[in-house]
Order: sequence, then C-alpha cells, then structure tokens
Amino acid sequence: MNMTKKRLIPRLLQMALVVVAVYFTFILVFDVLLGQLIPKSLLTMYMVFVIAGVVMVFTFTEQGAQELAGPIKALVEDPSRKMVRNVVFVIVPLLAGYYTYSSMLPSFEAPVELRTIHPAPPNKFKAYGKSFNLTTLENPYRKFEKEDPVKFKELVKEGGNVYIQNCQYCHGDRLDGKGPYASGLNPTPLNFQDVGTIAQLQESFLFWRISTGGPGLPAEAAPWISSMPVWQNFLTEDEIWKVILFLYDYTGRRPRSWANE
Amino acid sequence: MTHKTKLTVLTLCAALFMAGPAMAKPGTADKGKEIYNKRCTWCHGDEGAGDGAAMDRLNPPPRDFTSGNYKIKTSSFDEMTPSDDDVFRMIRDGMPGTAMPSWKELLSEQDMWDLVAYVKSFAGFDKPPAKAVDYGTQIASSAESIEKGKQLFEDGDRCVECHGKTGKGSAIKRLKGDAGERTWPRNLTKPWTFRGSNDPKDIFTRISTGIPGTEMPSFADPSSKKKLSVEERWHVANYVASLAKTDKAVNAENTVVKADMVEGELPATPDDERWEASTPTTFILVPQIIGEERFFRPSNDTITVRAMYNDKNVAMLLEWDDRTKSIPGDGDAEKLADAPIAEDGVAVQLPVVIPREMQKPYFGMGDAANPVNIWHWKSGSAGAPETTSLLSSKGFKEIEKRNAADVGLMSKASYDNGTWKVVMTRPLTTSAADKDIQFVEGKFIPVAFAAWDGSNFSEKGSKHTMTTWYWMLLKPATGSRPLVTALVIALLFLGGLLWWARSAGQATAAGNKY
Repeated sequence: MNMTKKRLIPRLLQMALVVVAVYFTFILVFDVLLGQLIPKSLLTMYMVFVIAGVVMVFTFTEQGAQELAGPIKALVEDPSRKMVRNVVFVIVPLLAGYYTYSSMLPSFEAPVELRTIHPAPPNKFKAYGKSFNLTTLENPYRKFEKEDPVKFKELVKEGGNVYIQNCQYCHGDRLDGKGPYASGLNPTPLNFQDVGTIAQLQESFLFWRISTGGPGLPAEAAPWISSMPVWQNFLTEDEIWKVILFLYDYTGRRPRSWANE
Repeated sequence: MTHKTKLTVLTLCAALFMAGPAMAKPGTADKGKEIYNKRCTWCHGDEGAGDGAAMDRLNPPPRDFTSGNYKIKTSSFDEMTPSDDDVFRMIRDGMPGTAMPSWKELLSEQDMWDLVAYVKSFAGFDKPPAKAVDYGTQIASSAESIEKGKQLFEDGDRCVECHGKTGKGSAIKRLKGDAGERTWPRNLTKPWTFRGSNDPKDIFTRISTGIPGTEMPSFADPSSKKKLSVEERWHVANYVASLAKTDKAVNAENTVVKADMVEGELPATPDDERWEASTPTTFILVPQIIGEERFFRPSNDTITVRAMYNDKNVAMLLEWDDRTKSIPGDGDAEKLADAPIAEDGVAVQLPVVIPREMQKPYFGMGDAANPVNIWHWKSGSAGAPETTSLLSSKGFKEIEKRNAADVGLMSKASYDNGTWKVVMTRPLTTSAADKDIQFVEGKFIPVAFAAWDGSNFSEKGSKHTMTTWYWMLLKPATGSRPLVTALVIALLFLGGLLWWARSAGQATAAGNKY
C-alpha cells in the first residue's frame, strides 16, 4: 500500500538534487564569484557534513525514511525490475573499484597551507634597537596634513620615492600587490588598493609590519615564507613613516586611529 | 553573395575594426599632466626624461620620453612619431617583462588619452605620423611559411646575427640602448616576455619598423642590405611565433617538482635522453632583495626543474636560459660581460629536517632553529674547473661550508646556445642525519632555487635571483597494489549486492507462502 501522495520529484532524487546543488553553489560562490579556489580536501570535508545533514533531514520521520528507501528496496526485491537491477549491480561495483583505484594512486597536489594574513599585533615590539608601544605609537608626520599641507605634500613625495625604489618590485606601481615579481612570491604581496588592507589598519600597525618584516611575524602568520624584508635594515624610521603617508595618499584610503573609533 | 552586399559587409567590418581606441576623444595634455605627476613621475621623472627615483633600480630603465624613441610603434620605419594608439596601448596594456604595468584597472579611458596627449608633448610630437607600417595581406602561419621564415631568419645572418640560431638571443655581441644602457636581443623562445605581444601581426610590426632606441633595425628599409619584402616579413613573423618553448612557461598551479622512480642507473649527464620523459616544472626567479647586498637588475627569469630517483640516489636537472657563459679569465666571455665578470651558478635549497607540520625553515637560507642544506654549483674560471659545494646554513650569517664529495653530492653541467643545464646527484641518505636531508619517498619536501649570471652586473654572493619555497616529491612506485585492491573492493561490493538480492528474494518467497 502506498500511503504517501505521488510526488513530482521522488524523494530520493530530491535528496540527490539538494546535495548536487549545494556542491555547485560552493564552486560558484568561492571559485567563480570570490575567485578563492577551495582546496579539494576542504571541499570534501564540507560535503561530508552536507550529505550527513541532508540524510538526517530526509530520514527525520519514519515515513520519510521509508519513502526514501522505497525505490532502493523495490529495485532489489521487485522481480519486474530485474533488468535495471542487473545494470546497477554491474555499475556500482565498478564505481567502487574505480574510486578505490584512483584514491590509492599517489597525489601530487601540493599540501594546503593556512596562514593568518592580519595577525594580532603585539603590544610592544623591538626595532631600531629600542622598544615601541603599538597602542600609543603615532605617525609623527600625520599632523602636517592639516597644519602645513605644502610640507605634507613634500613628505608624501619623499615617501613615494622610497616606495618606488624599494617596494614596487612586489607591491607594484599601482599599489595593487601586482608588482613585476609578485607572481614569484607565495604568499602574494598585499594589495593596498583593496578596502580590506591598509584602510582597516592603524599607521602604527603598518610601522610594525614594515620595520620587522616577515621574520617579525608571529608564528600563526608563517614568518618563514613571507618575503617581506626586515626594513629596519634598509630604511630609517623617518623613511618608513613617509612611505606610510604615501600609501594612504596614493590609494585615497584613511588610516584607522583611536580618535576615530 | 552579390558584389554589392560583399562590399557593404566589408565596409561594415572595416568600420568595426577601426572603432576601438581610435574613436575615443582626443586627450587634453593639461589633464594628462596631473595624472602623470601622480602616477608616472616616479619612474619616468618630472620632465619625462626617464630619470625618476626608480631609474637606477630598473632593468630595462624607464623610457626617456624626451628622446622621442618609442620602442613599440606602428608608424613607418622612417617616421619617428608614434601613433596615438601606440602610446595608448602601452599605457593600457603595459609591457611584459618590464616594470611598466597595465593601467586600465586604475585609470579611465579618458585618463589614458589625456596621458597620451601629455606624454607626446615631451618630444614635441604635435602631428600624427604620416605613414604607417604596410601590412599588405597577412599570410597565415603554415609549415611551409614557417620553413620559408626560417630560411630568411638564417640567410646571411639576417636575424641570427643577434638572436642566434636558436632564437634565444644568446650573447654574440654587446648591444646598447639609446640611454647607453646594455640591451639584449629578445629571447624569442619566451614569447611571454615580448614587450609588444607575440601575435604574428605584432612581430611583423617589430620586423618592419624596428625597435627605436635599440639596435633592432627595420627590415622594411629599402636601403638595408638585409631588407625583406612584405610577404617575406610575414614568413619570418610566423617562424618567430613558432619558436615558443611552452615547457618554460610558468604554470602557477604547478608548484611540485615530481621525481619519478626509475630502475637502474640515474642519468648522469644533462643531455641524457631519459630526462625528456620527466615532467618539467618551471619557477619564476626573482632578484634577492631581502638581505644585504640587495640586487635589483636580474637577467635570469625562470628555472625549469626535472627530477628522478632510484633505490640509492636522487638526481635533479636544473635548466635555465642565460645569454652569457660567464667564465672569468676567458677573453671572449669578459668582452661580453659587464666587468667585473663573476662565475655563473645555481643552487638548490632543502631543509635538513623534512617538516612534519607546516612550519619550514626561513626561505632565505634557513634560521637558527631550522637549518637548510644548500647545493651550490659554480661554472668555474679559465684556470679552474667548475665546482660543487655543500653549505649548511642557519640564516645569512651562519653558514658552514662543507665538502660536497663527503656526502656524495656531485654535479655535471653543459652550456649550449644560451641555456645552462646542470644535473645534481646525491645519495638518498647520508651518515649525518643531523646535518643532511634524508630523502623519503611520498613526502612533500620544501625546495627552493637560486641562480647567478656572472656577466650581469657582477652577480655574485648575495646578488642573485631566487625562488621562494616550492615542493619536491619523490613519487612512490605504486606497483600493482591499487589495481588489486580495487578489484577486491569491486568484488566485495558485487558479493554484497548479490547476497542482499538473494536474501530479499527468499524473504519475498517466504512472504508469498504465508
């Protein structure tokens, strides 16, 4: 006796469709829209959760579970479906065998490495042989923006010259992180035009990142692969502060500050 | 199609073709100046003389607009003025292989046209060029056309004089640019470095009008001994386009050097045919600008790596294009080099301990807690043979030089027409596990590379090109295990299904009985 009403799409197919739809939504959102490829291993993990969830929903009631299993049971038990059954009995073992075979072949996909892009800054750090307090550190030249715009413009120009002689190789003429050598680096250089980078940071954070470079990063930010040089070895404190002025001026972004919070 | 409709269609096509940049509004030099002072002055200088702050740290140097020489132009060879489109295109698309980026993401079309107007004013160009390159009828590429092009390329040393027989631009003589700077003939096997694209039509343009400000002449000039007809120039363009060596193009997705397991001996020489079967992986070389002394003007651009291993040893084939074979003390080599000449070289960097987690040694020669091994080959000088040394390093300042032979590290090099190939071989394991990497199959091993061109601004010591960490994998020999396991799994599935069907059948039969 079939107690359930006739459905347009059978429950089993519905379930399969939901899973497939979720899969392609992941691909669409991350790979296509956001341009952030999801590593295969991560996607597999997500899909395991999705499938588990979908199965739970679809088998929540006794009746739902029966309806879901119905077509499968019928396939095995109903003598009139012998032909389909034989086909399925050939395909399923073949698929299982193929999956086993391909998963046992060694993979050459590089391991996925996750790192923190904006690590939490320390309260204090050492550079130029002295200690800096990040909570009180300010750009000594910022005040000229209002007090002496002509002088400020000169400072920005000086910062630009430092930038073009030192930073453009990686961060680029356009400050978009696509300098001539950017593609040879991993992680890729930061894009200062992006609203998610310097616009979200205080000038003191930039000073910390520039002066101590990759090796000054905390462990969660993988200091061993960052190609950011330790700029206190090459630039003076003044030069770093001027470069910071230039970064904000060129991109039209504003630094965050305690005063504005 | 009647004659009349054909004509209409052709006219329409021509109209569409001419649309594009040429249709845009003419730019205003005053507005261009404002944009120039914000975006361009850093390299090209306030007065357009190519003397911005970046001048001494770029190779090639920024263009001096006051000279009036525009390298990439489509106006006739006897015409200095570039077309507006030529200047616009360089701003919009940038120049591959140089520091000039594409500006289309940051500037509007109108901004770029304003820049065109201003930039042209530095050389006082106020009229459009009178004559453009005559393209005749384009000849599509074919085996026949390429063969003809090859003949013309080699005939009377026409192109070979500078680009060499292989087209790699390996050094035959010193060339100079209009600012007195050293220039190199383009390596035609790497079309992604062409400043003005590798489309046959662009190549045709370069051949026809030359590259102003360099020693690349016009082959359309009737007074030239090497002149070519329009048709012949299309053949040469097709031949040049056919020289591309795509295995030397960088594929950003491919970050793993894959070493195959081989039976028997590993290839001991760089030119062993068995290397052909090995998968190449190419990496970008960037100049060393993180430690003193920094280096800003590299010549080597990529390195291609292949690897193999057997039950005893692992071998890596390192291949890179270097236009000069730098042998200090060799008269010919010294003539071609920027004095003082140094040796060419290459290095492989590996961690002493293969990291289990994600943490690796610092990519610049390791760190105190995570030492690295560096295998360093040098080309030798006129009086001394090539050398291989082994370094154990814990950062730039803590370097221990060791005897390579003690651990069985060996190399063998060859140089041919602008390409170095070096094979480095080492036993999989050594007796000093605390000092040397012990290779294990199936594990991702961080690996990095460096190269030195001793003829280029005296590359030596810290002045070199390098890569960041990539991976190397000794591919485990799989044997028949995956196939056998797959068969067993398939049979188990089949058995299970049959058993299910059978017991279900019995239940139904039993159900029918009652």
